[in-house]
Amino acid sequence: MSSALPDNTSKAPEKEAEAVPENKRSPSDFLKAVLGRPVNVRLNSGTDYRGVLACLDGYMNIAMEQTEEYVDGQLKSKYGDCFIRGNNVMYISSQRR
Amino acid sequence: MSNRILPLELIDKTIGSPIWILMRGQTEITGILRGFDDYVNLVLEDAVEYSPDPRDKSVVVKTELKSEILLNGNHVAVLVPGGTGPEDSLASRAS
Repeated sequence: MSSALPDNTSKAPEKEAEAVPENKRSPSDFLKAVLGRPVNVRLNSGTDYRGVLACLDGYMNIAMEQTEEYVDGQLKSKYGDCFIRGNNVMYISSQRR
Repeated sequence: MSNRILPLELIDKTIGSPIWILMRGQTEITGILRGFDDYVNLVLEDAVEYSPDPRDKSVVVKTELKSEILLNGNHVAVLVPGGTGPEDSLASRAS
């Protein structure tokens, strides 16, 4: 069983690369789509950061603009620019406005 | 031998249908799986988050995210293909 694992991991990106069906959306597709858009970033601590996604990298390190910090759902403070280290990020959600 | 299914193949088959994710810690998330990568970072549509209330940990708060999310694979513990969340599993246990 374990001998099959490397084969599996090499197979997955290949699948994503070839003719991606309309209903499939890989994490990198998502990141391309949300760049420059308003997003909500939830950290593991439960804190939310809402703002405009300026840029991010493969570690999910994030730079945001016009950031509002919500602790337990309450607006705590605002930052013009902020950087979030990727290890704290639980999810990035696009805000449909 | 040929009917053996690899773990990530199973997740690949789940694309387009509901999935239930148990995170490390208390949080659980459900949604429609749109895609994933080798790190099992997940793209979810219409995601719903179930997490303990910060004031009263015994209460679970349900948050409908109403948008597409990218979930960090770092904190993923268990994936349940076809699962629609803790509510349904409790209901099925009662019946």
